Amino acid sequence: MKGPRREPNVIPGFGITLGFTTFFLCAIVLIPLAALVLKAGGMEWERFVGVITSPRALASYRLSFGASLLAASMNMIFGFAIAWTLVRYDFPGRKIIDALIDMPFALPTAVSGIALTAVFAGNGWIGQYLEPLGIQVAYTWIGITVALTLIGMPFVVRTVQPAIQEVQRDLEDAAETLGAGRFYVFRRIIVPTVLPALLTGFTLAFARAVGEYGSVIFIAGNMPMKTEITPLLIYIKLEEFDYVGAAALGVVMLSISFAMLLAINLLQVWGRKRMMVSR
Amino acid sequence: MSIALDQVTKRYQDQPVVNDVSIEVGEGEFFVLLGPSGSGKSTLLRAIAGLTGIDHGRISLHGRDVTHVRARDRGVGLVFQNYALFRHMTVADNIEFALRVRRMKRADRVARRKELLKLVALEGLDERLPGQLSGGQQQRVAVARALAHKPQVLLLDEPFGALDAKIREELRRTIRSVQRELGITTVLVTHDQEEAFALADTIGVMNHGRLLEVGHPHDLYAQPATRFVATFLGAANLLLARQSADGIRFGATPVNAEGAERIHAGREHEVVAVLRPEEVELAAAREQLSSNFIARGAVEEVAFTGALERLRVRLLDEPSAAQLLGSGSAAEARVEVTRTQPERRALPLRSGMQVALGARRLHVLPTPISSFLACAPTESEAEVLAREPLLESLSTRMKTRVALRAIDALAVAPVPIAGVAAIAAGDNAATTVEWLLEHGAAEVLVLPRQAPSPTRVYIHWTDEAVRRATLAVSASLLRHVSAEAVYLGIVPEGAQGTGRAAPMRQLLDARSEAQTVHNLEMRTELAIGETVTEITRNLSAGTAQMLVLGITDIRQAGTAYRSLLAAQPGWPVLIVYRPAESRIRPEIAA
Repeated sequence: MKGPRREPNVIPGFGITLGFTTFFLCAIVLIPLAALVLKAGGMEWERFVGVITSPRALASYRLSFGASLLAASMNMIFGFAIAWTLVRYDFPGRKIIDALIDMPFALPTAVSGIALTAVFAGNGWIGQYLEPLGIQVAYTWIGITVALTLIGMPFVVRTVQPAIQEVQRDLEDAAETLGAGRFYVFRRIIVPTVLPALLTGFTLAFARAVGEYGSVIFIAGNMPMKTEITPLLIYIKLEEFDYVGAAALGVVMLSISFAMLLAINLLQVWGRKRMMVSR
Repeated sequence: MSIALDQVTKRYQDQPVVNDVSIEVGEGEFFVLLGPSGSGKSTLLRAIAGLTGIDHGRISLHGRDVTHVRARDRGVGLVFQNYALFRHMTVADNIEFALRVRRMKRADRVARRKELLKLVALEGLDERLPGQLSGGQQQRVAVARALAHKPQVLLLDEPFGALDAKIREELRRTIRSVQRELGITTVLVTHDQEEAFALADTIGVMNHGRLLEVGHPHDLYAQPATRFVATFLGAANLLLARQSADGIRFGATPVNAEGAERIHAGREHEVVAVLRPEEVELAAAREQLSSNFIARGAVEEVAFTGALERLRVRLLDEPSAAQLLGSGSAAEARVEVTRTQPERRALPLRSGMQVALGARRLHVLPTPISSFLACAPTESEAEVLAREPLLESLSTRMKTRVALRAIDALAVAPVPIAGVAAIAAGDNAATTVEWLLEHGAAEVLVLPRQAPSPTRVYIHWTDEAVRRATLAVSASLLRHVSAEAVYLGIVPEGAQGTGRAAPMRQLLDARSEAQTVHNLEMRTELAIGETVTEITRNLSAGTAQMLVLGITDIRQAGTAYRSLLAAQPGWPVLIVYRPAESRIRPEIAA
């Protein structure tokens, strides 16, 4: 071997591990995605544009990405509150609640969907009280958002928890002796410190919500133009044996998701650089 | 007074972590709170800052009572061990934090920041982030930040803890010069005595939540009043000696010692003498010593540490010569000696060589409890007694020894009783106490089986003549247990007019004497009724209670107080006996 010798590492062989990483990424991620793009590339341009800009498709993008963003944002706020409660306070049943947070991970999404529909339908436990107020949850975009919030919640809680643990009490104490009130401490000290983790949680929750299918289709009602999410539209195209059309919609989802994730990641990198150069 | 703490107590889960601490810090004074970890010093600092509430007492800053004022309204600056800088803010934003909170104008803020950065010698680093600075620089920023809002008081919580030696010293100098320049009243918390010496105008030493001694660094070092301060401030060899009107003796060797005049004369009794390692003189033979000979010894260990040479010397001829109080058993006790290079060159020593030890300067501790003597009918029972948890923890905390004595042997050949005699509670206890007091014991500790460490100590004396002695012994005891002190004054039933006024006055006298002479905060309670009944009622009212009882008549122990010394229900009772004629004895024991 030429060049400087590498420090021996716990996992041997940089060559082997890099090779394995590349192979794994190719087999599981890149090749299927490439196949998708190739499939969509099989159609002529006019038809492609026609499919992806049809009013039904546009409505589904709006719903899918809109509801996902909304759900991820809600998760960011309430997930932070949950994580804060779990880290900062000790109360009976804390351990149990902490364990319950992971439930949406383990539950088949279809089960969550059915459960939510049962609860929020017009005659459900919660739905029966909301209906008289003129709020219909099941079979509307609200229901979709609720479902997406449910399945995204653990992502935010689990990423924010360690970050809150790291906010030293000393920082709050220091700010207090310097004259800052509680809200000021929260706004200027706690939020900025937790923000990178919060953004990561948001990203994960958002990504999960965009790709979610199982839990949504039960509560959505699936009315074209109204409560039809893009993954469902893709499924419908497949049922109609319109593989190329499905692939075209897939490519659109892929592109938008990739662009958004990239943007959030860049934002995070920028934030982290600003915040701490060396930890 | 710039900072005044009055009887501050803070408990966690009923355990006092800060126990009746009163401190006054003068304007512009640099006060160092020194103590081992867990001594309550940091809690006390947080209480001054307002970050920790207190259960009892008052805190005032510059004459303003701030006991119930929130931290942000107290006007203090606080510096933490781990800097606690806001990592997402630049140095400038960190320093201006307090000014922004106060909505100061930008131009004023910038001017103040420049001024502060100059003060801590960090000009030009305004736009750096804390992560880009070294530890020493970060702590400077923290100091500047804490001073930004012109606090009246600067508080520093182990500010050098995370830094290496060189930077530590540099920062120490900076903080000292900043403090002098601003004339700001400062309290610094540390466990490092060297740091305390380097910075303090006044040092307060804390242990087990209590403030033991306060004084100028030199006074505390030269004339400590307690064993803890003697051994915590610098190294110290503690020696058991006997003191009489003629002076001090180590075994058969008389020595002239400083501090001896502070102890009461009267009957010969045991004392603890402090011998600093640098005050030990070593010579090849006794005749060559220029100071008082104390013992012969064998050099066991020689270590070179730069400017000084450190030696450990095992004493020969124990116990006829000096008796050492070591951290471990008596067999492990060694005299620590440090010598300067000229001394080393004058008499080069290797391990194994025999030397004569002299004491250039000895300081006798004014503590009334020198050591313990476990007394029981047989040697093996005495051994069991010595392992009683309360006795064991007291002797460990007091860094003293528990000697054993079989009482039968004692009856045959009355060897003078040294230190506090300890016996087991029981039906015969009263008789044994009488016997011990008649044979020279001044204090007897009566221990029920497996008595827990007390949380409350009742103090009572039958005659004003033993007040001083009882208070001195109580104060010494209470420095080593985390308990509250309660003086129990008892008025006989049916007493009228002057019969009632006198006990009230005694109560107040006792309280003020405890505070001024011993720095002991003592609660007082007044009971009406028969003495033994009232004491028993109070002792029974709670768990883990103890009694210190001062008497002037030996017979009292055997008759009136017999029931207090029984095995059941059983409380630890420390009897302090001074003959009534000791009224004239000048006793300033602390």
